[in-house]
Amino acid sequence: MSCGDPHDTDCSEVLAELWLFLDNECDHQRGELLRRHLDECGPCLEEFGLEEHLKALLARKCGGDHAPDALRHRLRQSIHEIMLRQAVLGAEVIVQQDDDGAIVEVSTTVESHAWLSTES
Amino acid sequence: MPGRPTAVGEEPAPTDSSDQSAEEQGAQETPEQRTARFERDAMPLLDQLYAAALRMTRNPADAEDLVQETYLKAYGAFASFRAGTNLRAWLYRILTNTYINGYRKRQRQPVAQPTEEITDWQLAQAAQHTSAGLRSAEMDALDRLPDSDVKDALSQLAEDFRMAVYLADVEGFAYKEIAEIMGTPIGTVMSRLHRGRKQLRDMLTGVARERGFLRDAEVAS
Repeated sequence: MSCGDPHDTDCSEVLAELWLFLDNECDHQRGELLRRHLDECGPCLEEFGLEEHLKALLARKCGGDHAPDALRHRLRQSIHEIMLRQAVLGAEVIVQQDDDGAIVEVSTTVESHAWLSTES
Repeated sequence: MPGRPTAVGEEPAPTDSSDQSAEEQGAQETPEQRTARFERDAMPLLDQLYAAALRMTRNPADAEDLVQETYLKAYGAFASFRAGTNLRAWLYRILTNTYINGYRKRQRQPVAQPTEEITDWQLAQAAQHTSAGLRSAEMDALDRLPDSDVKDALSQLAEDFRMAVYLADVEGFAYKEIAEIMGTPIGTVMSRLHRGRKQLRDMLTGVARERGFLRDAEVAS
C-alpha cells in the first residue's frame, strides 16, 4: 500500500519497519532512508507519530513502581545473614595439618589468611 | 570438604583442598567486599525489578516474593557476575527465569502462550495506513487515560507479548538484550513486540472509547 505519491521507498516498506526505526534498531543507512521518507510522507509520519506517542505513553504510565520498604529491608537482612554464613563457611574449609597430622582449624577467614601467609 | 588427615610422608591428595581454596579465596573478593559491591550496584535496581515483577505476576504479594527470590539468587551468583557486563539485563534474566520456572506454574490463571513467528505476509498486512483523521483524536484520547487503565490493558496481553512490550517500551532494552533476557531469538522478540503493541493499541483505543474520550464515529471511520 502506498499513499499515492512517489517515494524512493514504498510506504508499505516504511510502515513495516516503523517499529525498528522507533526502537533505534535500524542501521544508520536504513534509518536515514526511513527518515527521508517520513519527512516527505504525511500519512507515514502521522503513523509514526502515533506509535512514538504510544511508546512514550507506556513508558510514562507503566513504570515507576516503588518496591515496598519492607521488602528492601528484608532483602538486606537476608543478604547480611548469608554473608555472615559464608564468612564462617569460608573459614571452615581452610583446614591445615600440622606435622603430627593433627588438623588445625581456623575460625575466621581473615585470621586464616594471616595464619597461612606466616606458615608458608 | 576436607578429607581425613593423610599419614605423614604420604603424597598429598591431588585436590589439596586446603591450599587451593586458600589461593582462590586470596585472589577473590571477600564476602564483605562482594556484599558491598552488590549493595552498591544491584540494590539501586530494586524498584525497577519490582515494577517488572508486578507486570509479570500482576499482584503485589507475588511480585514481592519473586523479587526477593531473584535478588537472593543474584546475590548467590554474584561472584560469577563479571563486572563490565550488563547487570540490569543479568538481573532481568534471573527474574524472568525465576518467574517462568516457579511462579508461572503456581499462578491460578492459565496463561496463553502464543509464540508462533510472525510471517512476512502478516507484516505486510499490518503495513497499511490507518484511516486518516483518526490518529490525532486517538492520540489525545490515549493521553487522557488514567495510568491504571494503561496498566490494566498491558496486563491483559499474553505474557510473552506483555514482557516484550514492557522490556522494550518501559525499560528501553534493545532487541538483543530482550532476546537474552527472554531466552529467545531476536526474530521472536520482534514478533512478540509487533503483536503485543498492535493488540495493546487496539485495546487502549477500545478503553478510550468506553470512557467516552473517543467517539464511535471517530473510530469507525
